[in-house]
Amino acid sequence: MYALGVDIGSASSKAVVLNGGGEVAGQAVIPVGTGTTGPERALREALEQAGIRREEVSRTVATGYGRVTFVGADRQVSEITCHARGVLHLVPEARTIIDIGGQDVKVIQAEPPGLVRNFVMNDKCAAGTGRFLEVMARVLGLEVEQLAGVAETSARTVSISSICTVFAESEVISHLSRGEPMPDVLAGIHQSVAKRVAGLVSRLGARPPLVLTGGVAKNGGVVRALEKELRLEIRIAPSCQLTGALGAALIAREDLSRI
Amino acid sequence: MTERMRIEAILRELFEVAARPGVSVAKRAKRGKPLVGVLPYYAPEEIVHATGMLPVGVWGGTADISKANHYFPPFACPLVKSALELAIRGVYDGLAAMMVPCLCESLTFFGQNFRAARPDIPFVPVVHPQNRRSPEGVAYLRAEYQKVQARLEAIAGRKIAPGDLDSAIGIFNDHRRALRAFLEEAPRHPSLVLPGVRHAVVKSSYFMDRAEHAALVGELTRHLKGIPEGESGRGKKVVVTGIMAEPEGLMGLFEDVGLDVVADDLAQESRAFRTDVPDGGDPLERLARRWSLVEGCSLAFDPGKERNRILLELVRRSGARGLVVLMMQFCDPEEMDYPLYRKDFDAAGIPVLHLETEPRMSLEQARTRLQSFAEMI
Repeated sequence: MYALGVDIGSASSKAVVLNGGGEVAGQAVIPVGTGTTGPERALREALEQAGIRREEVSRTVATGYGRVTFVGADRQVSEITCHARGVLHLVPEARTIIDIGGQDVKVIQAEPPGLVRNFVMNDKCAAGTGRFLEVMARVLGLEVEQLAGVAETSARTVSISSICTVFAESEVISHLSRGEPMPDVLAGIHQSVAKRVAGLVSRLGARPPLVLTGGVAKNGGVVRALEKELRLEIRIAPSCQLTGALGAALIAREDLSRI
Repeated sequence: MTERMRIEAILRELFEVAARPGVSVAKRAKRGKPLVGVLPYYAPEEIVHATGMLPVGVWGGTADISKANHYFPPFACPLVKSALELAIRGVYDGLAAMMVPCLCESLTFFGQNFRAARPDIPFVPVVHPQNRRSPEGVAYLRAEYQKVQARLEAIAGRKIAPGDLDSAIGIFNDHRRALRAFLEEAPRHPSLVLPGVRHAVVKSSYFMDRAEHAALVGELTRHLKGIPEGESGRGKKVVVTGIMAEPEGLMGLFEDVGLDVVADDLAQESRAFRTDVPDGGDPLERLARRWSLVEGCSLAFDPGKERNRILLELVRRSGARGLVVLMMQFCDPEEMDYPLYRKDFDAAGIPVLHLETEPRMSLEQARTRLQSFAEMI
């Protein structure tokens, strides 16, 4: 019996297939999200990796921003519950989970085996999210994947005071036009994201260990800036982009044991 | 017609009124009663009724804000901003007057902006005292209501006859009792009185004659009591607090994610009819004393912060598993109260969801929060 978890975000689509023993049989991340072919491609790739056909999946749970519109799920569960479930499966000692996704940031207080005690999300603003970094990367003429490496060479941090993504973009352009080195400006961008996320964390209270998930967790510059801001060590969840889909697959598997 | 069929018919009627208030109000205007727009909160609507006019609730809407931006800064209460936008666009053109209590800064500013934007619609301000429990506070409010009465009489072109105001108070108190009885009964029928239906039954009262509404709601409650309790345990019980359960569609999300609203502490709903006008004395004084009896409301000076206790008791008594705070964007009075009762709820281990609301909010973000909360509690 196979269980499938599909996490359809705003920026990417993820899928995880669990086999009868609860092991990951297939997984995929496609860098386009809801409203695109991403969910279908992620599903296809994960199934191919598992070496099974769609009909062999006994239970599917969808999560993420596109969970409501995804056709073919037996049920949909919020990404907050799924991230908590996925992270606690991988890092059972985690107590605070920070998920920085394409368009939102979630901070979750969790307890084993996968319980959400409390959570907060960003409101109506893309500051501090993956989208913010994408916009900044475009201004700097870099790929998102290059951001962390470039920031490592910074000598100092150029402060970005604007919270609004659009105003921050103008501010970055004016810093560059004044001759500020790109790595220093980039360090400021990472610090800006970190401050925004740290503000959310402080609303719940940071109970260590803190685990970071979501695509932005791959950016070491943000991770370092966040550690500095919070004055706490941050662990990166293994397969950080897949924890939501993993959580969904684990819930699908639990459903099967109850049916 | 079976009991269940009658219940469904009444619910449909009230739902229709709440969904399309303009149509309902226009229908009632044809009966010849002049309409008086009434902004929130605690307006002496009984005086409007006694002058032979119909008070109609003005709680804003989901209009795109364009013209109101000329009068309000971007960070202003969306309720008054949308009300002004609708006023400028002519939605309230048929009103004989607009009554505006000045219980928060936003309403005070609305009043002044409304006067400037629509000088053609008579403006009736009501200034409640915040030192409301002292004899002087009651005397002051009585005098204020006297001025309101004179102004409304001039607008209506008729004097309130002796006994008319007492009679109006009786109608409004009966209406409050009818709504309280309905909300007491509603949680026994979670599959029939869904969160959106519950909200619509209360909201519809703002666009109907109170006696007519009380009769319908009273009949509804009687029929509900006559049928077996609905299946329970399907949804998770919550209490909602805040200003109002809007925009349209918000309560539908509660239903989608499996949350049952078993009680509320909303300014537009329970808070508006929790306190009756007391007996004894002349009618204006009775109306003034009602304000002195209001408890646990962010709009009423509450030095002992009774709201914390009232909210906690409401959640415990109703068997709710959590509290959903529908925090109206930029609402200073509600934002001031939040940290205080939140602290008490955290200490009591009762989960709280803070959900910022505004007329044009993203319901998808709200869905994620509500669904996560439903999964968490």
